[in-house]
Amino acid sequence: MCKIDEEVFMSMKKHWILMLVAAMLVFGAFGCAEEAADPVDDPVDEFEGEVLIGIMVPTTGSEAADGTDMENAALLAVQEINDAGGVMGHRLVTTTGDDGCDPSMATAAASQLVSEEVVALVGGYCSGATLPTLAIYGEAGIPFVIAASNATSLIDENPGWGFMINSTGLDQAATAVSQFEALGVETIAVIDSGDAYSADLKEQTIIQWEGAGYEVLVDDTVQRGEVDFSAFVTSIMANQPDGIYWTGYQAEGALLIRQLREGGYEGEIIVGDGSSAQELIDLAGDAAEGVYCTGPPLTDFLPAAQSFIEGYEANFPREPGAYAALMYDATNLLVDAMERAGSFDSAAIRDALEATDGFEGLAGPVMFTEDNTLARSNFVVLEARDGRWALAE
Amino acid sequence: MALHEILLQQLFNGLLIGSFYGLVAIGYSMVYGIIKLLNFAHGDIYMIGAFSGLIFLSIASPYIGAGWPSLILGLLITMLLVGLLGVLIQRVAYRPMLKAPRLSILITALAVSMILYNTVMLLSAGRYRAFNVDISSESFYLGALRLTETRVILIVAAFTLMFIMHMFITKTMYGKAMRAIALDRDTCQLMGIDVFKIIALTFFVGSALAAAAGIMAGVYYGTIHFFMGFLIGLKAFTAAVIGGIGIIPGAMLGGLLLGLLEAFGTQIPFIGTEWKDVFSFAFLILFLIFKPNGLLGRSESERM
Repeated sequence: MCKIDEEVFMSMKKHWILMLVAAMLVFGAFGCAEEAADPVDDPVDEFEGEVLIGIMVPTTGSEAADGTDMENAALLAVQEINDAGGVMGHRLVTTTGDDGCDPSMATAAASQLVSEEVVALVGGYCSGATLPTLAIYGEAGIPFVIAASNATSLIDENPGWGFMINSTGLDQAATAVSQFEALGVETIAVIDSGDAYSADLKEQTIIQWEGAGYEVLVDDTVQRGEVDFSAFVTSIMANQPDGIYWTGYQAEGALLIRQLREGGYEGEIIVGDGSSAQELIDLAGDAAEGVYCTGPPLTDFLPAAQSFIEGYEANFPREPGAYAALMYDATNLLVDAMERAGSFDSAAIRDALEATDGFEGLAGPVMFTEDNTLARSNFVVLEARDGRWALAE
Repeated sequence: MALHEILLQQLFNGLLIGSFYGLVAIGYSMVYGIIKLLNFAHGDIYMIGAFSGLIFLSIASPYIGAGWPSLILGLLITMLLVGLLGVLIQRVAYRPMLKAPRLSILITALAVSMILYNTVMLLSAGRYRAFNVDISSESFYLGALRLTETRVILIVAAFTLMFIMHMFITKTMYGKAMRAIALDRDTCQLMGIDVFKIIALTFFVGSALAAAAGIMAGVYYGTIHFFMGFLIGLKAFTAAVIGGIGIIPGAMLGGLLLGLLEAFGTQIPFIGTEWKDVFSFAFLILFLIFKPNGLLGRSESERM
């Protein structure tokens, strides 16, 4: 009896193992198919030599989707440059370091990239992960065009080799303040979600708002993952500010907007770039109509980006995400700087980057301040209209 | 808004949140009462309830809409199905461990929790899901109190469920059997009570109530998420301890009290929304130090 049962059991077990192996093979096959579609994989031999640049983005972990998207954008730019004859007769090749959106992983990735002797770098998504790498690249003397990371703390830690082409929190706060002014708002409430990025944006907004002579009536913080904002809504209804600025992310933002509208709040609501995803509108439903957002320059709203979007979608099975255009700009800016420097010497490239004067990127002209930050704010004001983000009028 | 209006509004908010805590805490407390298990998977049952309700609505709304009738139908069907899931979990994961040391079954409960939320994370791609229902969100005033149809119906429904539960425990034969098993399992078995059946029933009822709370939270907040059960699980545990763990009326009372403490606590100057959870768990610690048997518990009291 027992023996037979055991045999049946064993054969079932084998069956399962077979199925598992089959499943792994199938998924593995998909994995290979994806790699084969890699756009830089074209053998051209008419180049004089190769020049290696590093890409530092999170390709694993919670931010892997945006990171991979940025990597794709850089690879697309590299492919276009090589198709057009490369940089000064040299073929551009890349190597990717995965920062995992994590400071300790980023440090390891940065050391690895330095040891591979890259002449320059592009990338940088999570500000927290980018921060500790600035000193490493600075010490090694490698210029780094930072595509997305934009916390104001990066400015102080930058030894002069990093160049930020995304506007910082200071610019975003300024955009929010001027949008509130345009809406005729005189008193506001500010609320962040407790993490460094949203708290920093909130603080900058308070400083600039009060500096402009207006009043902040409510200043609050919620935990990430919070679902119940009734206490905040009650204090909003008691204080009646003309406008509310939410600097956190979309999951909590959607609930906040819903509960504010259900609680009877009729003033203006603006959300920060952390809430610029379409998901905010999908989750908040009708309550999101008329909400404004100080957002990054999404490709959808950039007239110059149409051919980029087409090129991207032809090469990768997805739409370009929020930071793809900036990464594409970063790569092209770097190549532009190499050509202006007339050499692949890191110090010369750095000086050329510093001297950048009106490089025309998809997201607008690039020029740097003394702090190596973007001289002109690239933030746009979006408005939720008919269930989609659209440029505010 | 004047101060008394703020307090009135917060009183209502606190009661509503508190009734969700209470519904989840009942299951926590019942299971502890009957098999001395802190069922850490209970918060995830609440989350599964919310997702099942959403799945029911997405299937049923083309035929019967997404208004109150289909919600109530969805609530009942989900309570039934999730109740059965609770029984299944009990049969597969906890029953074989009943004779094992208490720590083993506690760790089993943690494993069940991880299996449940990770499964839902995979199925829902880890994204927040909109819980869209076709219910007017128009608000109206009752004196100075601002209400919506949804809030009124939810709070009535929650209190009705708690009342039915109370009647079930105190007036029916099954309720009596549960209380008896909580007192002395071996004697009950000798007296001819089918102990395993009653334990299964306890899981059924507790899981069904948590599922109901999950759907209600979905309707109330409008979005659901695979990790939504974690925090409410901890809060329900706190509520159960405040009321006296193992005591059903204590769980309801503890839930309501915790909801009110949070609602009023966040209105104290310098304690903003940020400190809400700190506030609740500080109360948990105070209770554990000064009144470990909870409000309704005495060290020798009947546990159920």
